[in-house]
Amino acid sequence: MDKLLIIALTLSLILPLHSKGSQEVAQTDFKPTKEITWYCTSKPGGGSDIYTRAICEIAVQNGLLDKAPIINYKTDGSGEVGRNEVANIGQNADYTLLTFNSGDLMPMVANTHNRLSNFTPIAIMATDKQLLFVNPNKGKYSTFEEAIRAAKGGVQIVIAGSKGDDLELYGMLIKELGLRENQMAYITNDSTADAITSGLGGHVDFVMSKPAAASEYVKAGMLVPVLALSSSRFAGALNSAPTLNEVNSMYNNVELPVWRGVVGPANMSKEAAKFYSDMLFEVSCSIAWKEGYLATYSLESSFLDMEAAKAYMEEYQTAYLKKIGK
Amino acid sequence: MSNISMLLNGFSVVLTFQNVSICLLGAILGLIVGAMPGIGSLAGVALLLPLTYKFNPTSAIILLGSLYYSNMFGGSFSAILLNIPGDSPAVMTMLDGYPMAKKGRPGQALFCANISSFIGGAIGLLILTFLGPGMASFGLHFGPQDMTALLLVAMTSIGYLVGKNPIEGIIMTLVGILISSIGMDPQSGAPRYNFNNMYLMGGIPFVPFVIGTVGFSQVLRLMSERNDRVDDEILKQRLTIKGSLLTRHDFRRMLPFAVRSGVLGTFVGVLPGAGATTGAFLGYAINRAFKSEESFGSGAIEGIASCEAANNAAAAGAFAPLLALGIPGSGTGAVLLGGLMMWGLSPGPLLFRNNPEFAWGLIASLFFANLIALVIAIGLIPFLIKILTVPVKIIIPVVTVICFVGSYANTYSMYGVVVMFISGIVSYICEKSGYSTAPMILSFVLAPLLESNMRKALITSQGSLRIFFTSPIACTFIIILFIIISFMIIRYFSRSSKTTMEGGK
Repeated sequence: MDKLLIIALTLSLILPLHSKGSQEVAQTDFKPTKEITWYCTSKPGGGSDIYTRAICEIAVQNGLLDKAPIINYKTDGSGEVGRNEVANIGQNADYTLLTFNSGDLMPMVANTHNRLSNFTPIAIMATDKQLLFVNPNKGKYSTFEEAIRAAKGGVQIVIAGSKGDDLELYGMLIKELGLRENQMAYITNDSTADAITSGLGGHVDFVMSKPAAASEYVKAGMLVPVLALSSSRFAGALNSAPTLNEVNSMYNNVELPVWRGVVGPANMSKEAAKFYSDMLFEVSCSIAWKEGYLATYSLESSFLDMEAAKAYMEEYQTAYLKKIGK
Repeated sequence: MSNISMLLNGFSVVLTFQNVSICLLGAILGLIVGAMPGIGSLAGVALLLPLTYKFNPTSAIILLGSLYYSNMFGGSFSAILLNIPGDSPAVMTMLDGYPMAKKGRPGQALFCANISSFIGGAIGLLILTFLGPGMASFGLHFGPQDMTALLLVAMTSIGYLVGKNPIEGIIMTLVGILISSIGMDPQSGAPRYNFNNMYLMGGIPFVPFVIGTVGFSQVLRLMSERNDRVDDEILKQRLTIKGSLLTRHDFRRMLPFAVRSGVLGTFVGVLPGAGATTGAFLGYAINRAFKSEESFGSGAIEGIASCEAANNAAAAGAFAPLLALGIPGSGTGAVLLGGLMMWGLSPGPLLFRNNPEFAWGLIASLFFANLIALVIAIGLIPFLIKILTVPVKIIIPVVTVICFVGSYANTYSMYGVVVMFISGIVSYICEKSGYSTAPMILSFVLAPLLESNMRKALITSQGSLRIFFTSPIACTFIIILFIIISFMIIRYFSRSSKTTMEGGK
């Protein structure tokens, strides 16, 4: 009888534990059973679109997803409508993803009330940095040091670049150099290709570009890198460009790493976020990602999982809000 | 190796069963995409791009290149028959195409558009073949000050649309400029006139705006007129290819305009950021200065030839910087550039040297697509003009659906539909009150380009206007601008004095 009592008592204590344990396993074991909608706030064919489609394709090829997500291009309001929609999504939060880059975060927090707290950071997949290039055939300056001297001597220097992060980086650069906008001016173009065009035509003194967009022109000798906007020199053909501190030791290096990430809505479950973060880690380890995407577009691999990505993005947002006085 | 032998090598790449089939498929898809208002070549190429990853690069670019090219043919169909431009360059085609169709010559208008597109395209491709890399370098000489001066010349085309009501015309031009300034400031990236509305932050999308202004307002007009009668002239038409052929006289009228626009359009296509739409506008504006049998805007065959030849030639010209320098001349070019990278090629100044079979294969396929698109487009004329015989009670719901679908397809959201709906109602009221919307559309297209280039030029010159006179290219265009304006003023006063004298008698 005592034995039976002991067994019954033990079972009564174990069974609830077991059932709770089963529940935990079920919660962590999220696997998509419905179609995933992946928001892309840029037009088809652009950098964000290629990045999104590369992830989707690799995820399906490697069996990480059964079915390719549906890419929803929400470009209204320069992408703000799409970001706002994801931030406020009610149902289906576990099946909604958004391509989110530093170039998206900056205008979002500058122009709207939408903040990172309205999203669940899932991963950062890659980063990119810029350089300044000069046209060796038509440029007036062969080094950036000459340009700094000229600007301080009253000659206007003109840099061409793209919008968003390029414009921010230009602001950081002239601040570090102690120059005003009329001493070293910046022409905002719709794309880096437009900026390169004006550089090739000799209409500006320098072109700001990421390595991928300029690499073919460097190979052809039509552009020469003169300044690495980074804390260290770039590798390969871009290695000849010094950092700002190397140009003149009185200046600190200037850099604004441009990251490419993925986020979900704020009310996405932890289990779903973990699933997507793990999936993106697997994608980032694949050869197709390293050779087919990162190498093709000269990006740096810098995978951050959901926790690390959250900390990084939050720090980035805080610094940017402080910078623009918000 | 000479360019001709390289081109012949390109043809040997294209003229395989697989590539001919792909080119044919691209040409057909391009015509369909072009004819459907709101979709356009950009969306067509972008949507087809993912399907080409498994193709070899040459076949893939042949498919997309032929789609892009034949799209230029398709854009004129709905512009001529429904007064709704299939794509943005066809806005100008609409000005003469639709009145010509209403005059009972829809077949000839379509035939003229197709043959002009072919002539413009052929001229553009020949120039691309022999002068491609040189032209790309020529385009680089155009700085923002030169583009500003060129766009000011293009802006003069608005003057011809103002017609007999200059004050109303100027008001509508300014309204167009105001609407185009909604969105982001092109230099600082700060929102402008968005009234804290997120949708307005991205500006007013062009295609839904034009579909509403031209297409939906026409639906409202048809509804208010309650006229169910189909035009007798159109019913009498022989709905055959033969009945749509141009007469020798028509051909003589349109040929010089098509040739001039073909050459001009090619050079406009090479210029950074100009594109086929600016090509069509400039072709129309410049050719307007030449003598035509009927006045532009009243259904003149010369008007259709001027813009259709120019936009196809500009599409060919845009391939010169894309292939020779890796610089996309348009949004569609940018998507093609992305495609080159996905297929493992390196677009840029070394493409012709490293992948000649690819570059010349593409050029050869464009020649082929130009011919195929012409044959198919002419073959479609008898079926297309039947649209004009459809009773108004059926046309109204069909065009309404096209307006809604086209607006949605362009923006992937209901925002486009709302823009189309509001612009349609406002335009209907404006037209009813004697305010033509054509100057508004033109200023809406050209003003952002003009603003962006002018501000870039003024940043470079630290605010001095001298930059427009120190650059030889800009100075030449400023002189042309003054000549055109002087010509318009002289003509206005000579007409006024003639009217006064006739009144005195």
